[in-house]
Amino acid sequence: DLLQWPQISKCRSPEMETFSCFWTAGNFYNLTVPRILQLLYKKSNEEDWKECPDYITSGQNSCYFNASYTSVWTPYCVQLASKNEVYDKKCFSVDEIVLPDPPVHLNWTLLNTSQTGIHGDIQVRWDPPPTADVRKGWITLEYELQYKEVNETKWKELKPRLSTMVPLYSLKTARDYEIRIRSRQRTSEKFGEFSEILYVSFSQIGIGCDHCTEEVEFPWFLVVVFGVCGLAVTVISIMLSKQPRLKMLIFPPVPVPKIKGIDPDLLKKGKLDEVNSILACHDNYKTQLYIDDLWVEFIELDIEDANEKNRASDTDRLLSEDHLKSDSCLGGKDDDSGRASCYEPDIPETDFSASDTCDATSDSDHFKKAAEKEEDLLCLDRQGNDESLPSLASTDPQRQHRNSQSVNSQPWAPFGDSVESPRPSVHTQISNQNSLTSTDFYAQVSDITPAGRVVLSPGQKSKLGRAQHEGCTEQNFTMDNTYFCEADVKKCIAVTSHEENEPHVQEQGYNEDGYFTTESLTTTVANLGASTAAPLSSETPVADYTSIHIVQSPQGLVLNATALALPDKEFNVSCGYVSTDQLNKIMP
Amino acid sequence: MSTKGASLKGLLLVALLVSHMLLTKEGVTSLPICPNGSVNCQLSLEELFDRAVKLSHYIHFLSSEMFNEFDERYAQGRGFIAKAVNSCHTASLTTPEDKEQAQQIHHEDLLNLILGVLRSWNDPLIHLASEVQRIKEAPETILWKAVEIEEQNKRLLEGMEKIVGRVHSGEVENDIYTPWDGLPSLQLADEDSRLFAFYNLLHCLRRDSHKIDNYLKVLKCRLIHDNNC
Repeated sequence: DLLQWPQISKCRSPEMETFSCFWTAGNFYNLTVPRILQLLYKKSNEEDWKECPDYITSGQNSCYFNASYTSVWTPYCVQLASKNEVYDKKCFSVDEIVLPDPPVHLNWTLLNTSQTGIHGDIQVRWDPPPTADVRKGWITLEYELQYKEVNETKWKELKPRLSTMVPLYSLKTARDYEIRIRSRQRTSEKFGEFSEILYVSFSQIGIGCDHCTEEVEFPWFLVVVFGVCGLAVTVISIMLSKQPRLKMLIFPPVPVPKIKGIDPDLLKKGKLDEVNSILACHDNYKTQLYIDDLWVEFIELDIEDANEKNRASDTDRLLSEDHLKSDSCLGGKDDDSGRASCYEPDIPETDFSASDTCDATSDSDHFKKAAEKEEDLLCLDRQGNDESLPSLASTDPQRQHRNSQSVNSQPWAPFGDSVESPRPSVHTQISNQNSLTSTDFYAQVSDITPAGRVVLSPGQKSKLGRAQHEGCTEQNFTMDNTYFCEADVKKCIAVTSHEENEPHVQEQGYNEDGYFTTESLTTTVANLGASTAAPLSSETPVADYTSIHIVQSPQGLVLNATALALPDKEFNVSCGYVSTDQLNKIMP
Repeated sequence: MSTKGASLKGLLLVALLVSHMLLTKEGVTSLPICPNGSVNCQLSLEELFDRAVKLSHYIHFLSSEMFNEFDERYAQGRGFIAKAVNSCHTASLTTPEDKEQAQQIHHEDLLNLILGVLRSWNDPLIHLASEVQRIKEAPETILWKAVEIEEQNKRLLEGMEKIVGRVHSGEVENDIYTPWDGLPSLQLADEDSRLFAFYNLLHCLRRDSHKIDNYLKVLKCRLIHDNNC
């Protein structure tokens, strides 16, 4: 056992009139001669230690100081000592050690019961501890009540209060309760001892309800049922409501895969052949879309076809409609399937190569392979510079129309059937040309002859390596595009005409460089365009493609400036295309 | 004639307002403004004592908390308790030390004593509020409590003077007062000594506020409730 010194355990005053000190003797007592412990005390304003006046009243190992020895707000020091040794010492003042006695005379009365008789309210009363002189106001007490059901373990506490009565509400009449109270001085923190326990039993006064043991549980079932009903009603009301916004918010429409004009079932079935054919065969829609939705991504070049057709009229080939029709095409099909889909921007990534029924589809294949460059499409006639920009075509209105038509026809050619006779299959010709050049994939259709033939502008020509540069180098061509105005070409041709070996037949010219100029059709000089186009073009950096920025009208396109560095040119200098900036400058 | 009528109406309105003010004074939760010497506007003695007891209880509560916080924060390990001689500057005032003495003393004397103690604490509280801010890293709670105690003490002093004016039949003796000379000790350079001075002062404050609270309750029970609280 550890050696325990005697020590003062606590000093306490129950009513601020007397106080007692208690100590423990430790286990010295057994070991050695019993020592006599003394409690000495001293008030702060005194010099000598005095001995405890009363060792008995408060019990063993205690010292009791009665009222005459007690000065409330005076500091005391007490020490536990034997003859020679001081074991413990404590200093305090009486107002700090007040711990009241417990309240007495607890009782309860019934206030009322609930209608069902299951619950009841009671009023608990008690008296303050008799030692505390509350009536004269010498000490002010606070009470704390605790209660619990008989078979519970945890006490419920009420807030401390000054009054000596408190109501308890909603006690179960079927159960018995225990109540206990303790008190403390009002400004202290520590409570005194608990009072005796008061037992509350409703059955004693005859209102106990033995069979009222059911407890109101939380009605989960009802809550769930009503919750589900409410939710259903809400959902139905939202669905039926005419508020489209609300509907969209709660039930956003699920995007169904749909290609305009294509029956989704077809896609589901996965029959690509049919899909392809449908996409190819949209006769009626072509015209509409020409006007509305013009854009050119690329022109397909069919290399194989070019070899077959030697010196045949490429124009004829272009313009012939044979290849454009597919066996499986249903001409004039009226249903919606597949028509518009070709012109949707996001469509033609599917592999159309599976189908050979339409030239169109196979052409589109080639287009995809070749789809790297995009050339300017419009050739700005210098003379036409001053004119309003929407008419980016040449001044010739007829030409304009044809130009636009030709331009329009380009994107649709690969997919296409012949919708109109003037619509050429540019691709065949171009492919023909391309076979010679193997690099050019685009050709600008600058005009369509009255016969329905396509006239292509001279384009990028670096491969054939024409030597006749000089004449045209004088010209300040805007080489940032690969096409030349007729006027420029004319001049060029005029300059270099003497250098020409022989007047090329139009077709031959085509074969060499694969380009046409408008002039070449109308005049024989035009065949020099090819040759002239070469030197002109070979010198200059060429923009690969220009995307169409705006479609002004059927007569014109506005193209964006290319990514390649374009030297800033004045509008009237440039021949080729107009960038949007230039366009903006010019247009009102 | 119209002016006469108007002035009569005005007078009637004033009379109505004043009477309304007087009649509804029971519902007032805050102290009404009573002009000095006004006969009509007067709180009952019971009301005055109620308010005084509330204030004194509040002051004691704040002092107790402030002392506990200070003790916890600064006094641990310094052995202040052992050293505590607890000589408060108000010790020279002979105040009742137990219940019998409190019962025997005349209520007027007791009131005067209360007033004297309150006045004696006026000065130290002002300095306490200012000096406690200079303590290193003084918690905010201690700071605002010091200020609050000083304010409430002033209010209690005013209330007590009113009560004294009500209760006293004869001349009011105002000579009970102890000066406080503890300011230099609050400004000592040595931190330990300075903190001990604060500890002492707060301890004394807690005790004296408890004293005053008790005395007022005794007086209230004696004068208002006839020893039957």
